[in-house]
Amino acid sequence: MKRLFRTCLLASAMAVGLGLSTAAGAAEGPSNDDLLNDAKSTGDVLTYGMGLQAQRFSPLDKLTPETIKGLVPVWSFSFGGEKQRGQEAQPIIHDGTIYVTGSYSRLYAVDAKTGHKKWQYDHRLPEGIMPCCDVVNRGAAIYKDKVYFATLDARLVALNKDTGKVVWSKKIADYQAGFSATAAPLIVDGKIITGNSGGEFGVVGMVEARDAETGELVWTRPTVEGNMGTLNGKDSTMTGKLNASWPGDLYKTGGGATWLGGTYDPETKTLFFGTGNPAPWNSHLRPGDNLYTSSTLAIDPANGEIKWHYQTTPHDGWDFDGVNEFVSFDLKKDGQVIKAGAKADRNGFFYVLDRTNGKLLNASPFVTKITWAKEIDLKTGRPVYNDDNRPGAPEAAEKGKSVFAAPAFLGAKNWMPMAYSPATELFYVPANEWGMDIWNEPITYKKGAAYLGAGFTIKPLYNDYIGALRAIDPKTGKIVWEYKNPAPLWGGVLTTAGNLVFTGTPEGALKAFDAKTGKEVWHFNTGSGVVGSPVTWEQDGEQYVAVVSGWGGAVPLWGGDVAKLVKDINQGGSLWVFKLPKA
Amino acid sequence: MPRLLIAASIMAALAGPTLAAQADPPDPLASVMWDALRPELFGSAPITFDDRVTVTAPANAEDATAVPVLADASALGRVEEMVLISDLNPFPVVLRYHPVAAKPVVGTRIRVQQATPVRAAARTPDGVWHIGGRLVDAAGGGCTAPPVTYAARDWADHVGEVQARAWPPSGDDKTARVRFRVRHPMDNGLIAGIPAYFIETLSLRDSNGTDLARIDVLEPVSENPVFTLDVTPAAASRALTLVGRDTQGGEIAATIPLPWTQGALP
Repeated sequence: MKRLFRTCLLASAMAVGLGLSTAAGAAEGPSNDDLLNDAKSTGDVLTYGMGLQAQRFSPLDKLTPETIKGLVPVWSFSFGGEKQRGQEAQPIIHDGTIYVTGSYSRLYAVDAKTGHKKWQYDHRLPEGIMPCCDVVNRGAAIYKDKVYFATLDARLVALNKDTGKVVWSKKIADYQAGFSATAAPLIVDGKIITGNSGGEFGVVGMVEARDAETGELVWTRPTVEGNMGTLNGKDSTMTGKLNASWPGDLYKTGGGATWLGGTYDPETKTLFFGTGNPAPWNSHLRPGDNLYTSSTLAIDPANGEIKWHYQTTPHDGWDFDGVNEFVSFDLKKDGQVIKAGAKADRNGFFYVLDRTNGKLLNASPFVTKITWAKEIDLKTGRPVYNDDNRPGAPEAAEKGKSVFAAPAFLGAKNWMPMAYSPATELFYVPANEWGMDIWNEPITYKKGAAYLGAGFTIKPLYNDYIGALRAIDPKTGKIVWEYKNPAPLWGGVLTTAGNLVFTGTPEGALKAFDAKTGKEVWHFNTGSGVVGSPVTWEQDGEQYVAVVSGWGGAVPLWGGDVAKLVKDINQGGSLWVFKLPKA
Repeated sequence: MPRLLIAASIMAALAGPTLAAQADPPDPLASVMWDALRPELFGSAPITFDDRVTVTAPANAEDATAVPVLADASALGRVEEMVLISDLNPFPVVLRYHPVAAKPVVGTRIRVQQATPVRAAARTPDGVWHIGGRLVDAAGGGCTAPPVTYAARDWADHVGEVQARAWPPSGDDKTARVRFRVRHPMDNGLIAGIPAYFIETLSLRDSNGTDLARIDVLEPVSENPVFTLDVTPAAASRALTLVGRDTQGGEIAATIPLPWTQGALP
């Protein structure tokens, strides 16, 4: 009896001890330091971009071109319902749980080892949402005890990471005016920083920072010149100068949506947000550079002030929306290490900038055909336009002069994020080869209506492929290798220290390539198109890979002739997890 | 005989919480769900079926998506918590009511999925649950019919709007009747393609911010729910506030003016 009693005591003491330690670890969640260290830590994936700089590089090296033949699926998780639309998310992995978003503003917490669902949050969307380019979501953010994601009705929702209960829900913008939100939020120094969507509805682009704990607004930074920013509830500074690059009142509906979110560089303490196309598409209505549309903005996370800007397509007339992610990296050139950043723009050029001041270091084409500009002048940093490739003004006619322009408005590279490997010192860019007929039409702004003033149809450039995954050397701008894919590439890229590059295809495969040579070394068909971003992490000494599967996004909606090529791809909605089992 | 007694007490000790259940009086409504609901809702706490707890509801529900129910436990005196239960619903618990400075009386409209006992349980300070109720006959499907709310395309513009009225305090205890309606589809998650989305908490507060009454709202409460409460505000109160939130973080906030009465000012 006595012995029994003692054993019981011991057991309960242990239980209490264990209970305490796991409860504390689980409840606290990742700290700001954990987020800053995400690119180096291998047991989790805490940020969109696998590190705030968004290099999408993992130091894991168990999987290599040699060992990858042992990579096998562990489980697959269905997002359920009838809502099988584009799945563009990047999973977040913390403490053995995967947080992944699905189409129609849904968020799931799933046990990383077993695939058992822990909880699910289905956001109740109003009837009138106006997402331009499918009902996608690109991922969640995690910080301390909460996970966050943005919804199609332009809200930001914070949930308890363990229970899925809503802690707060804040309106980012008015969905009835055309705003929506699809990007993964970014968390820096306790602030949750988001962009907005709705560039096709004449909204004004905005970068906003909120207190991650309470959701209260800290600062806002409009992206279009002439609009006023705020800090702590008061007007701060105007963006640019009123009417400096915009005529009349057009800046009030000037576009520049920051629909892809941003990246952060801890070394220079700078946020980088890409801004979308100016509105309307018809450029003849808005003479001037139309700052800061189709640009990259460097922003101070403390107060929302713009440190510098670089405009990739001044006076954009082709929807060369410049939201593409700006990835910070160390450029090792001529014995120097330059704090650089790179952006593969929708307009077809691969830009390398000095990230401390926004000065152009190099710009080179990463697609085979660019018609709108001859080159980027490295001295002025501006494109040398082919003036006759700008779609004509409609004047009094129903339709202006139509031109054939490349890349198409869906971009030489669209939303899908590239990866950078410090091991190979190469960027891996998911590109597409297509052009478009484009013409302008008369237009006036009406709240909540499409504000394009243009007609267009996309055409493939080649019979055998549209998509091309290209390895680019940022020192020279040269393409080192390429993989050609019949359908347009629409998924993110991952690279690892194991000399691998992963990406998905609309045809359904998750593929792996040798990072140095581009040789395809592995593929797995997930059953629907892969347009999400793969991630990798380590758990119990084994390397895991996860990707979402589910065809959709802008291509089937806006793809013109290309939509025909992909119309037979079946839709889906699932999370696939793979691992390399221990020998 | 003594041996039998010992065996019985050992069994009872092993069985733990079911001891109380075994000692329970029989369910006067003879519900097939009662044996399952009793331990789930009340654990091993003592219960008694008590006529002083009344549930007023139609014998036959005209509209299974909005059956009016008034639960009244004021004959018990002080009550700490009330639970409204609809035994045969997919979600049997309708709401939990905390009458902080209020009479233990709550009225609302509920969905019923089929003919079911509708009960109110009231916990007195001694920890005993006093239970009363009645049968409500109903045509099926009240919980799985889509809300009428969605016939209007602009429903989302009006979610959380409150209409309310308070009557002058009356009676010895100076209770004021308050009735309010909150616009909300109250989706219970049982309709394919419509995620759960309902009001979770409501607090009616006095002008100084203290709670007069709190309601934990659950799935069976009807869309655009209406509540009737009898609360006891401070004598000088000119207005009450209603605050609450739904499962998606949507916030409800309204001010309900109290009618002016002669001599109410201190």
